[in-house]
Amino acid sequence: VARCAVLTNDLQYDLVNKNDERRAAVAAFTPQMQRFLAEMRTLGVPVVHLQLINLEDDPHAERYDGWLPATKGSEGARIVAEFLAEGDTVVEKNKDSGFYETELHDRLQELGVDTVIITGMQTQICVQTTAADAFFRGYKVIVPPDAVVSARPEDQARALEWLGSYCATVMPTAELASAIAQDSLPEFSVVPIP
Amino acid sequence: MTGGVIQLDHGTGGGMSQELIAELIAPRLGAVHSGRMEDSAVLELGVSRIAVTTDSFVVDPIFFGNGDIGKLAVCGTVNDLAVSGATPRYLTLSLVLEEGFPIADLERVLDSVREAATAARVEVVAGDTKVVRAGEVDKLFINTAGVGVCEREVELGVEQVVPGDAVIVTGWLGNHSIHILSLREGLGFEERVLSDCAPLDGLVWNVLEEYAPQVHCMRDITRGGLGTVLNELAAGAGVSIQIEERRLPIQHETAMAADMLGVNPLYLANEGNVCLCVAQEAATEILELVRWHPYGRAAQVVGAVRERGGRAWGSSPVTMVRADGVEAAVELLYGAELPRLC
Repeated sequence: VARCAVLTNDLQYDLVNKNDERRAAVAAFTPQMQRFLAEMRTLGVPVVHLQLINLEDDPHAERYDGWLPATKGSEGARIVAEFLAEGDTVVEKNKDSGFYETELHDRLQELGVDTVIITGMQTQICVQTTAADAFFRGYKVIVPPDAVVSARPEDQARALEWLGSYCATVMPTAELASAIAQDSLPEFSVVPIP
Repeated sequence: MTGGVIQLDHGTGGGMSQELIAELIAPRLGAVHSGRMEDSAVLELGVSRIAVTTDSFVVDPIFFGNGDIGKLAVCGTVNDLAVSGATPRYLTLSLVLEEGFPIADLERVLDSVREAATAARVEVVAGDTKVVRAGEVDKLFINTAGVGVCEREVELGVEQVVPGDAVIVTGWLGNHSIHILSLREGLGFEERVLSDCAPLDGLVWNVLEEYAPQVHCMRDITRGGLGTVLNELAAGAGVSIQIEERRLPIQHETAMAADMLGVNPLYLANEGNVCLCVAQEAATEILELVRWHPYGRAAQVVGAVRERGGRAWGSSPVTMVRADGVEAAVELLYGAELPRLC
């Protein structure tokens, strides 16, 4: 029986409001994401929000017009209320991958998780790197294309193609919920490089 | 002298400078340091030809999964000498330190210099230490010079490359760059893809010891990657070079990361990888010898040198037969968007 967990990425006030492009993309994705999270909670699947906290002394952290978003303890770093529910877990991260020097792997191991459903923003950065990292650590990785978001659709399409080629099963939320309920998740097989 | 941080006075040439050198740098370098604290080192070389090189190291971050800027400085310098057919003997080591740099980190770097120099059998014969104000450099930059002795009568060089030569690459392509990029951004590849930073003097020595007449040219594949090296060889020798994508030693995870980042492993920097042009008839045996060495396990014959004639004017002299069978140009890049990888 698969032991799943949903990981969300960067659904935080500062980050979803970076610019109009991103705001619009997140607004369009929010209803379906809320439905999916509610369904997962009903099925007893734990929801873990990966919260990007930018460090002041990190020269590689992205600045918005000279200011550093999502700093520790700031309002802008909080998980957007529409995606958060009682019983969810928040894990702090400081880099793109949710596993990079975080407690995520330990928390998932404690929960007995072997399959991660990776969601959130943006598909071509944090979703992609967290998926690769999870795959390298031996997790089965599922990415629902309707539970990830990018400011630009072409970035999302490219990232989903990459994910499906290298490390993840790309599966819409409706099929995924049904597969979890029936314990019939598909296996991902790596296509060897010729 | 332990703990604390580097202060501007450590670089003024006064008492604190002397203390830093005498109580920290020289003891940390141990036996590989033979500097006499004079204005210059006077060396007995006993040969008529020497090889000299110089390099600067500004990698960010300075500590990475399986190395650091100290190891990189020694290996980078040693490898440049080795591919010239010289036996690396002596290094200089100049440190430009940022005020506030932790002395414990300097000790780690010096330990790496010592270990890498011991492995490559080179001595640090001269050095310099400067300290600049916070923000004027990022933590630590290193400059080296290297001296090697040319003990063998070998003719190596781009002018020796001839049509028919086989092109051998001794290690995975792009791993150093992907490792560093992944560390900078926390991409999740840093534990699966390690830097190839290594001293290759032993590997090169083995090859030249057995096959010197058949080896025509060697190049350290650093910044610009294999694509740049091949273009330089083709231009310098007036030949064309064709490689095969299927033969390129590219680790699966490196291909994944490169594909994700939109970069081409052909142009990524390496720090322990040599490209050899060798006589076709000896290629298989040389490949076997390279693979016997721990740093040459992934070696491959990746292509061959051909006559330039017949190619359209202005077309790339380097091409790659892709996995789908189509021959595509391997262009010379005029810039790179990936700074501070070495």
